[in-house]
Amino acid sequence: MNDKKLIKRLASRAETSTVLILVVMIAIIACLQNNFFTVRTMLSYINSFTPLILLAMGQAVVIIAGGLDMSCGTTMALLLCIMTRIMDPERPVTGLYALVAGLAAAAVIGAVNGFAVGYLRLPAVIATYATSYIWLGIALFVTPTPGGKVVDWFRGFYDLKNIPSLAGIGQFVPSALLWVLLACAIWWVVRRTKTGRYIYAVGSHNDNAYDSGINTAKIQTAAYLLNALFCFFVAVYYAGQNGAGNANLGDSLTLQAVASAVVGGVAMSGGKGSVFMAIAGALIMSLVGRIIYFANIPNAYQTFVSGIIIIAAIATSSVYSFQQRRAQLKGGVRNG
Amino acid sequence: MDNRPVQLERHPIREFYQQNSKTLNAFLMCVLVFILGEIVIGAVMGAHGTFLSVSQVFLTIRLAAFVALFGLCQQLVICVGGGGLDLSVGYIATLTGICAGHIMNGQNSGVLLSVLTALAIGGFFGLCNGLLTAYLKLPSLVVTMAMANIVQGIVNAYVSKVAIEGNAAPALQWLAARFTGVFPNILIVVVLVTAVMMVLFRRTSLGVRILGVGANENTAYLSGVNVKRVRCAAFVASGILAALIGLLLLGYLGHASKDMASNYVMPSIVAVVVGGVSINGGEGNYLSVVLGAVVLQSLTNLFVALGWGDAGKWLGYGLILLVMLAAYIRNKRKR
Repeated sequence: MNDKKLIKRLASRAETSTVLILVVMIAIIACLQNNFFTVRTMLSYINSFTPLILLAMGQAVVIIAGGLDMSCGTTMALLLCIMTRIMDPERPVTGLYALVAGLAAAAVIGAVNGFAVGYLRLPAVIATYATSYIWLGIALFVTPTPGGKVVDWFRGFYDLKNIPSLAGIGQFVPSALLWVLLACAIWWVVRRTKTGRYIYAVGSHNDNAYDSGINTAKIQTAAYLLNALFCFFVAVYYAGQNGAGNANLGDSLTLQAVASAVVGGVAMSGGKGSVFMAIAGALIMSLVGRIIYFANIPNAYQTFVSGIIIIAAIATSSVYSFQQRRAQLKGGVRNG
Repeated sequence: MDNRPVQLERHPIREFYQQNSKTLNAFLMCVLVFILGEIVIGAVMGAHGTFLSVSQVFLTIRLAAFVALFGLCQQLVICVGGGGLDLSVGYIATLTGICAGHIMNGQNSGVLLSVLTALAIGGFFGLCNGLLTAYLKLPSLVVTMAMANIVQGIVNAYVSKVAIEGNAAPALQWLAARFTGVFPNILIVVVLVTAVMMVLFRRTSLGVRILGVGANENTAYLSGVNVKRVRCAAFVASGILAALIGLLLLGYLGHASKDMASNYVMPSIVAVVVGGVSINGGEGNYLSVVLGAVVLQSLTNLFVALGWGDAGKWLGYGLILLVMLAAYIRNKRKR
């Protein structure tokens, strides 16, 4: 009897479906790829999925706060370009300058986005669409053609094995995993503060939150700042990986980040969802890409399929939350 | 006791300004940009530069024509409200251009079939956009962006199998690319479309319904307007128009290419906002969109003349969009 209740409770949670889909995806790809369960494959997957995971987490924070960020891809590209411009392999200390500059730039970007959406109350979608082009323009000014340099120790951000003193740890722990853990830790802390609670409140119902005395503009700005921080992490990661800056690197990532957050159960209307589940969403989106590859579908169809998946993901989320709302209304206030 | 009704003074000029303020603002911005361009180019290039000359102005308008036409798609979608935008117009135009190039193959006889193909392609993708946005209530920016990816995927797949070939029919080239004297022929299209749009929006019941749905969705619904159908129809119209613009682009460029129309999408949105069409829907006229497109194109010319290239262009577009959004569109402050 107790088991039945537990199963019913699990089944009614939104996260269950996401985890189930993830398990199915892993099963499919394990079938398609012979050497899936080897350490090398796992490592290479973790390394290539991490950017989307981090961007999806940032996007989830913003969407939960009631906004959207169409500029996360170009934000990341701009930060990457700034850092690779500043660094000079001859002088290792420039790596530190680059980190500080990148962090400062991320703060400015997050503040601008937050100001536009929170204080000016422009519609988030189109305001961040506008700012995405501002970041792209600046990035193209900084790095017109892919280039730039990276200090040697910076490469440790991508793979710890690149730093001689940490090579031992680097054998077991990929940098990518550390980045994701860092982001998770940050969010775990934020979630337990007043700001974290207010983020959910503001996203859930902006006017009510305001009437309760919450400074909604400040909270939304905080959400965008956090998102910019996660974009900064991705930029540092890419700098370590590629060693060069490319203004167009983020083009396809923005939409995928939004889709990952949605697939991870974050409701586009705001106020609902879990940033940790967004990780699952990012994994699902990335695995789909891999499945396409292993199913021998030609590369040209990739954009086509990814577009369809994004629409399917958002449609499903929208229909699901509509059903939930209807069920709540039918069930009475107690269930709401 | 004086019971005569009070005669209020009428200020025709002030009324005219109030009714058409956005259009006048757009026109003023045009003039401002031209003057600014003249000053800057004069300062930078000394005696050699002239920004403002009859041929330059016409060339600018010619380049702006396509942005203005794509702006029409955006305006239709925006006017029906709900924060609508259509980012898929670029790739719909590209796909149509590629298909039409094959069909026409440089002959005038192929034009009719091309137009029918355009209607089919544009209508199909427009319908997909419309159904997802109006009936499933998905956010249109995300839906149309994903749709753009899908159409881009189709274009990529097509191009990887079949090489792009076929030139535009001479008639189309005459319309889109040639001049009669100093006057670019494509302006005929723009002027015609402007006239049609002004009549549509101000005089016909369809236009009133469109604007009504955008202005207040609930009121329109209670008045018996099928809001979802009108919104869906707006996307279908946008798709069809985008496809037809693809034909014109084909005429302009001579032959199709994989990325024919992708650079027109963002400027079309900016042009609409600069033209003062409210993002929330329910108001706006096409003439101001055309003026907005001209402002944008002149600014682009300015950036190019200053040597800032692509970077300056995107930065400029982003800044202008943000500033104009802040100036014109604010969620009504309830507090």
